[in-house]
Amino acid sequence: MHSNLAPFFVYTLRSPHFSHLPHRCFLPHSFIPLHQTLTRTSIFNPSMASTPKKSRQSPSKSKLRSPIAAPVTPHSLPTRRSTRLSSLLTDSPKTPNLVDAFNETPKRRRRIGEKTEPVAKSRLDFSHKDKVSTRNSSIKVENEKDSAQFLKTRSKKSESDEIPFAPQSPEQSKSVKRKRKEEGEKTIELSKKRNGKDELFAPTSPDQSETKKRKRKNEVEKTVVTRAKAARKEGKIAKVQYYKKVVYDGGEFEVGDDVYVKRREDATSDEEDPEMEDCKLCFSSGDEIMIECDSCLGGFHLKCLTPPLKDVPEGDWICEICEGRKMGKDVDFPKPPEGKKLVRTMRQKLHSSDLWAARIESIWKEVDGCYWCRVRWYMIPEETSVGRQPHNLSRELYRTNDFAKIEMESVLRHCFVMTPKEYAKASNEGDDVFLCEYEYDIRWHSFKRLADIDDERENSDEGDSDEDWNAGKESDSDTDEDVDYEEENIKIAQSQPPTSHQLAANLHKGRFSGLQKIGTKRIPEHIRSHKQTNLERAKASLLLASLPKSLPCRNKEMDEITTFIKGAISDNQCLGRCLYIHGVPGTGKTMSVLSVMRSLRSEVDAGNIKPYCFVEINGLKLASPENIYKVIYEALNGHRVGWKEALRLLNERFVEGKKTGGEADRPCILLIDELDLLVTRNQSVLYNILDWPTKPHSKLIVIGIANTMDLPEKLLPRISSRMGIQRLCFAPYNYQQLQEIISSRLNGIDIFEKQAMEFASRKVAAISGDARRALEICRRAAEIADYRMKKLALNPDNVAAGKGLVCMADVEAAIQEMFQAPHIQVMKNCSRLSKIFLTAMVHELYKTGMGETTFEKLATTVSCICTSNGEVFPGYDILLQVGCKLGECRIILCEAGAKHRLQKLQLNFPSDDVTFSLRDCKDLPWLSKYLM
Amino acid sequence: MPNNLLSLEMAVAMETEGENHHIVKALNLLRSRICDTGFIFKDSSDGNYSKLKFMISSSVAEACNNSILLLGPRGSGKLAVLDLVIQDLLLQYPDSISVVRLSGLLHSDDISAFKEIARQLCMEHQLLFSKAASFDDNSQFMVAVLKECGLAHKSVIFILDEFDLFAQGKQRLLYSLLDAMQSVSSQAVVIGISCRLDADQLLEKRVRSRFSHRKLLFLPPSIEDSQRLLALMLTLPLESGLPYDYAVEFNKRVQNIIEDKKFKEIFNKYLNFDSSVKHLLRFLFYAVSHMDLQTGFLSRENFETASSSIQRQPKLECLKNCSILELYILVCMKRLEVKEKSLCNFNAVMKEYKSVHDSFQTSDYYARNVCLRAFEHLIHRELICFSDNRGHSLSVEFRPVKLLISSGELYQGLKAYQSCPAILQKLIDS
Repeated sequence: MHSNLAPFFVYTLRSPHFSHLPHRCFLPHSFIPLHQTLTRTSIFNPSMASTPKKSRQSPSKSKLRSPIAAPVTPHSLPTRRSTRLSSLLTDSPKTPNLVDAFNETPKRRRRIGEKTEPVAKSRLDFSHKDKVSTRNSSIKVENEKDSAQFLKTRSKKSESDEIPFAPQSPEQSKSVKRKRKEEGEKTIELSKKRNGKDELFAPTSPDQSETKKRKRKNEVEKTVVTRAKAARKEGKIAKVQYYKKVVYDGGEFEVGDDVYVKRREDATSDEEDPEMEDCKLCFSSGDEIMIECDSCLGGFHLKCLTPPLKDVPEGDWICEICEGRKMGKDVDFPKPPEGKKLVRTMRQKLHSSDLWAARIESIWKEVDGCYWCRVRWYMIPEETSVGRQPHNLSRELYRTNDFAKIEMESVLRHCFVMTPKEYAKASNEGDDVFLCEYEYDIRWHSFKRLADIDDERENSDEGDSDEDWNAGKESDSDTDEDVDYEEENIKIAQSQPPTSHQLAANLHKGRFSGLQKIGTKRIPEHIRSHKQTNLERAKASLLLASLPKSLPCRNKEMDEITTFIKGAISDNQCLGRCLYIHGVPGTGKTMSVLSVMRSLRSEVDAGNIKPYCFVEINGLKLASPENIYKVIYEALNGHRVGWKEALRLLNERFVEGKKTGGEADRPCILLIDELDLLVTRNQSVLYNILDWPTKPHSKLIVIGIANTMDLPEKLLPRISSRMGIQRLCFAPYNYQQLQEIISSRLNGIDIFEKQAMEFASRKVAAISGDARRALEICRRAAEIADYRMKKLALNPDNVAAGKGLVCMADVEAAIQEMFQAPHIQVMKNCSRLSKIFLTAMVHELYKTGMGETTFEKLATTVSCICTSNGEVFPGYDILLQVGCKLGECRIILCEAGAKHRLQKLQLNFPSDDVTFSLRDCKDLPWLSKYLM
Repeated sequence: MPNNLLSLEMAVAMETEGENHHIVKALNLLRSRICDTGFIFKDSSDGNYSKLKFMISSSVAEACNNSILLLGPRGSGKLAVLDLVIQDLLLQYPDSISVVRLSGLLHSDDISAFKEIARQLCMEHQLLFSKAASFDDNSQFMVAVLKECGLAHKSVIFILDEFDLFAQGKQRLLYSLLDAMQSVSSQAVVIGISCRLDADQLLEKRVRSRFSHRKLLFLPPSIEDSQRLLALMLTLPLESGLPYDYAVEFNKRVQNIIEDKKFKEIFNKYLNFDSSVKHLLRFLFYAVSHMDLQTGFLSRENFETASSSIQRQPKLECLKNCSILELYILVCMKRLEVKEKSLCNFNAVMKEYKSVHDSFQTSDYYARNVCLRAFEHLIHRELICFSDNRGHSLSVEFRPVKLLISSGELYQGLKAYQSCPAILQKLIDS
């Protein structure tokens, strides 16, 4: 990729001329780069100025949207139908399942034809404007930060590669959040200002453009100057100014936007940017309905097809030419008529590597006044080391970890690169929509999923923050969420440059080095082209790891936790408090607390609660109890110190109330999971931690989680008096609750027989009430059913392969496997001598009434039994070995074999189990008389 | 196995002659078959092999986390089946599996286990490993790598051999592993192998709650299955380059042996002791290695020698090597035991020895220091032992000892002893 940067160097040389362009009014026409004329069109888009609210949207987007706003009947519309699938299916080869999948996904229709009119108009405008030859790459500054500050944030972020809300570094994430918030506010102000401006200019008509343009430009100049002056006044060495959003050449480019980037300067056919592509058969666009082929993405008029289609068909549609090619025939697209040039859209150019797509990471103005941005490239599958793989979708791109600084000149216009989920929902963005699921490492040529970042974000704005987001959109301001997202991206973008000397990977020096090496060389096909069956979907949703959308049956407890925390932190005084949560494993203790914290965080974001720090620690993951000080201190301040030093510093903070900075003033919530592991001999660790909340200035809240109900009572009185006041008990789930949990997970997947599910939940409720167990049983039952089904499918005779439901027998088998000890089966199948040995043990037990016996006594019993039943006595040594083998399996408990005749033996299971398993032994029917 | 080596040498010699080339080839074929676990475990359609393969491959393909326990007595093929499955899966999903192997005997403490995991993960991904990393570093590194692997569609398979030994102490390793598997991004399978049937009961309740409790039980085959396996293993294929007539003749003879009543007796007696697959294979290997290279056919005698050379009676053999004086001491101790003096020391034994000598006027009377030597010798051979671990400071003569051989065995041993004085026989009889 680096070699591809050559064209930009050309720009760099030219840049001094162009950097002054905004300030000059007139320029010879020939100087204007071609793509600028393209982007300029959007400025005159009437829709842009029509409503101030839309001004934040990218021009091309608004262009697309404005006509749709008008109520039109779908039939009269020239529609173009895209059958892109929301699920990750390959577009080839087709499987019968595809139709199903399509039916499940919301339909999207792309309406390209609608655009025609505005486009035509803008083209007219553009010609008109060319005559006037205004140079109007107006640049508006939306937001600025001085470079020093920006660099600071960036460097800080680059230190940690954790997800912002990862519990390990709540401190960091929080600081980031606050900064974001400030930025957000700033942006809101600025955008308000901008709105005002826009209203001033609206409506813009092409004829008035001259004056308006100038006016705007003047203003822009003014702001820039003042900002620059201000920066200078502050005495910072800000040579370069960073912006959040820039209006360049009529397009609004924001950090985090995806754009097309010009690649070649000599591209001949790039004069126009057709918003609407021509029909591949008749080579005209027209107002007819067009359909998109799912293989070549070419557009076809419905009437041009043979036979002509009346309606857009459901499901995938592949044009006859692609179909022909797939059959192995050599079919070519019809040649365009003479004189008609084949015009390609940007998307087509991108796919033929004439353009690039990139995401803007930062924008700044150089000292000489030209605008630059740092971009992160996207790659088309053809450019990767493995080339296009069969499962790649036609609109798929890869995000790379390759960055480049380019001039804003070479940025063409917006495109939209989305995650699969967004992509599935996207409907009206036009032709420039792409899908990106993987990141491609250009150094190691490996792929990695992007999913987790987006998951994280999705989890974070689940529920209440959703309204926020909408509100923010309406007021046309950058909400926290937006900024969050950008910050996250910058963070990801800091995939550090290659280090000069290799660090050991498992040494934690702020971060683990070299993890970027991990990645697949190819994306395995089975993951993408595999259509999940119902059973597999059920298995996936029953996974313990998959976080449920809602937590049923724990509302009361969660309310209690919420009121506790709110009560503790919303006090001005913020007296520290302790909460002790107990309950058997798998009753949702940790999950409830974490979900409460999530919802509280969104309330913090919304500004309802004051910000706080949250530290989560698991007692079992600490090397020693004392290490907890170290971990807490690191989480709060970001430094790693020894535990003694950490204890001193924490004491300073919590006991003496010495605050080191603005952030230390916040209340701090400490969640300690598996609290019982912190109990040391003198219990000093627990005492220290539970003593801090009682200090007047600590602002510390401790939530302890453990299994035992009476942990406080087992501790020293001075500790239990501090901890045991407020308690919350998580009772084991009863069977209705378990059933609700399972069915809420299996929502929409109907593969479990009703009784089967009830059986599983009743069984678990009777034994432990552990939700994990219940889920695992159901998952195992689904696995057994799946195994059964696949085996039946192998056998062609079995046409009636069952209904594909998980039935009682499967659940029964799963429960058996999980709860039944396997010793009975082993005893039934063990060797002949072992059986005699066990029988002799039971006989000995009955005879003497003593549980314990010695090998010598047992050997005499065995030899008695053997001789009276015609069996050959094997000899002492062999008998000893038999006993030791049984001891290995823990069917009997025995001492080491070296003790020989003094060896003590004892049955490990009730003698009834032995009787049960050996009673009906076919080889040795006489055993039963000794077992009675 | 000196016999085995010898026959190998002979085989090499034969090969140079070129005469018995096909016999050597047949022998090699049989031996490689016995050592090939795939030949034994793969054939059954509903066996543990296919079940385990389905479990692991579906966890890899569907990107879910699982934890599986393989339970069964020693020698039942737990690790062999697992290795086969992993071999297959490595072929099936070449870049999406990495395997981490730990053994409870080596890494049962948490610190070394985490270090080993970090080392193997570093090796797997060509990262630099540091020995100096702390427990925290290593455990965080593991979680980080698991996450990265999950994003790259890679499953990490942790194989914990001697699983029961990991369940000692606070079980930090198991807790961290299983807890890391509760997150969406990680993709891991934990497979525990143990011969303890109650291995899952050893887990602490919070660890057990996180464990997914897949259990596979490996059972020894029944006598009929073992016989079928034996026939299958020893039958030569008819079209494998071996002379057709030879192969047919060989198979016929093997069939005859299997149907032979005496052979069945030996075979059943052998399996009565331990019916596990490993035990059976050992038997077959011995027998095949004793095959006569002149004729090139297996005979019943081969199996007899195999059976007798595997089933030894160590205590009786031990007695065979004892000196007369040592036998005297053992018999004296036996007499003391009969006299209800279960605890005795060297002095008491000497007293008894003297009284035996006085009453029967035997020719074998040795000085006290010679007897002490013999006594110590018996202790080293574990025919007698000190009755407790206390009193290390006491000299050997005063420490109480116990007999480690039962009277029945002693009696049997004396009978088998050729130059045993008649008086000893008489003493033990009385």
